[in-house]
Amino acid sequence: MPAETHALLSIDQHLALTQTLYREARLLDEERYADWLELLADDVHYRMPLTARRFRADRSAALAEGPGYVFDDDKGRLGLRVQRLESGLVWAEDPRNRVRRIVSNVEIYRAETDGEATVHSVIEVHRSRIDAQQRRLTAGRTDLWRLEGGSWRLVQRLIQFDHPVVIDSNLNVFF
Amino acid sequence: MRPHEQAQPPQDYFRYVNVDAGWVDRRIFWDEAIYERELEAIFARCWQFVAHDSQIPNAGDFVTTYLGEDGVIVSRHTDGKVYVYLNACPHRGNKICFADEGNARRFTCNYHGWAFSTAGELTGLPSEREAYDAGDIDKAAWGPRRARVETYKGMIFATFDPDAPGLEEYLGDYRWYLDAFLDNDEGGIEFLPGTIKSYANANWKFGVENFIGDAYHAWWTHDSGGRAMMGGPFPAYDPKDTYHASVNGHGWEFALEGFGDIAILGSQEVIDYYAALKPKIAARLGELRARLFGSLASAAMFPNMTFLPGIHTFRMWLPRGPRKLELRVWTVVPKNAPQSVKQAINIGCNMTFNPAGTLEMDDGENWEGNTRTNRGWVSRHEKLHYGCGKSRQIEHPELPGIVHEGQFNDANQRLFYQRWADLMNAKSWSDVPQRYAPRYAGRPTR
Ligand code: FES
Ligand SMILES: [Fe+2]
Repeated sequence: MPAETHALLSIDQHLALTQTLYREARLLDEERYADWLELLADDVHYRMPLTARRFRADRSAALAEGPGYVFDDDKGRLGLRVQRLESGLVWAEDPRNRVRRIVSNVEIYRAETDGEATVHSVIEVHRSRIDAQQRRLTAGRTDLWRLEGGSWRLVQRLIQFDHPVVIDSNLNVFF
Repeated sequence: MRPHEQAQPPQDYFRYVNVDAGWVDRRIFWDEAIYERELEAIFARCWQFVAHDSQIPNAGDFVTTYLGEDGVIVSRHTDGKVYVYLNACPHRGNKICFADEGNARRFTCNYHGWAFSTAGELTGLPSEREAYDAGDIDKAAWGPRRARVETYKGMIFATFDPDAPGLEEYLGDYRWYLDAFLDNDEGGIEFLPGTIKSYANANWKFGVENFIGDAYHAWWTHDSGGRAMMGGPFPAYDPKDTYHASVNGHGWEFALEGFGDIAILGSQEVIDYYAALKPKIAARLGELRARLFGSLASAAMFPNMTFLPGIHTFRMWLPRGPRKLELRVWTVVPKNAPQSVKQAINIGCNMTFNPAGTLEMDDGENWEGNTRTNRGWVSRHEKLHYGCGKSRQIEHPELPGIVHEGQFNDANQRLFYQRWADLMNAKSWSDVPQRYAPRYAGRPTR
């Protein structure tokens, strides 16, 4: 992940990037996956590592952070996921679930490379499921965005999922 | 009452399961009393997977898991051995260890600070001399209850039942199949670090029976994921040279053709790796098992361990009440494979078989549906059809177990529920009927 900096972007760039984050959430809520893929840089790395509850004093690394990921995707694999979602054959999304993403606590800083920005945010995903079941999933995100041809594109996303046990029978959603 | 001193079961559980007619009563997926009997007659009795050697290689390494609803700590002690004991303090009963995994020299209870070694012995009590008089407590007798522990090719299993048969007898001829997954190469397997856990509001048996032999659902449920991952629908089902094999309630359904499972990982490097390995597998395990490994297959060991040989996902279905389960998922890799192959297998597994996997995502909702409809009193008193392929039992010269032809079959499920009812009925292990005479009793399967 990009190094922590605290230099701010210009107010215009900051505003444009904030709007992009909100727009991204709406595109996903509206299941406009092709438009969402457009927001991603070609070298995007989208990942949600595993978490395990360990004692604070435990310094052993053997089991601490494995190569295990819920998501560990490049653009090709994200494309396959979108292909599946758009196949018309995903029974769990038919009839469709209502999903609402709330993005907040947005902090945007200038990254080391010119034209790139580090973005911290919190995302809350509300899924309204079969028989009116409600699922509320939360995660912290650390992103790297890059200005390409005048618009911001997502280059890296590290999703810190807040649930040690996934509290839904599937994660048929992007964060 | 100790697990091996169980009361006579209150009823004959074959009223819920009819293997010959091919039906199962829906109440077994809902009823609290039946679930309570399962905790006693199945989960306090059967051998269950708790960890693989590669997950806890060093002294002090531990994981916490469950045998039924009984939380246990699985830890490697300084003597190099693995101990499994209740994660419950013998003082007032608090949980001893709240971490999922890690390394520890001892475990200390949060409430009054009783301390336990990684072998599960009570080693210390705070203010012992001020609080306790001589004769108050015999520390050697007051550690948390320990389970029996045995391993098979690096897989660590535990049971709390002192009367359970040894692990090898419990597995029986299922070892012949397990070897195709655990022992197809001289290095054996290892578990990659990291456990993915998820809940589903479903009865645990639906997860297991899906893996024990439900090839049938893949063509429908996984059509979306299959098309995305393979560029088209699943290949046409071939009833020839496909089988269900069942031993002591453990099951394996499989084809004998090609790289069906391995191909789903979506990595040419992994396919090439196994293509090169195939002749060695044949030399090690025989031609038949070399064809079996990596074909389209799924497998489950009774009661609740499942895996996809070839896709390399390995999972436990932990019961959390009759209507909830906790699924734990790991990626398994050949220990001697190059790092890049291990990495490709891991990426393929994460992409397909975890709660965000392109194939797995479509499953959970079905099992929740199977369970939830039983809320209806009328629905609950209906039967479910398990009659597919009833007449297709065969004797096979090489394949051990009770074998049926055709990967689309309910045979392994029927025999899973037969074992379930046998155990639910049994007062002790000596009452559990032997329904299959093992070919390999007392002999290695490799
Ligand atoms: S309950 Fe564990 S020390 Fe008292
Ligand atoms: Fe499935």
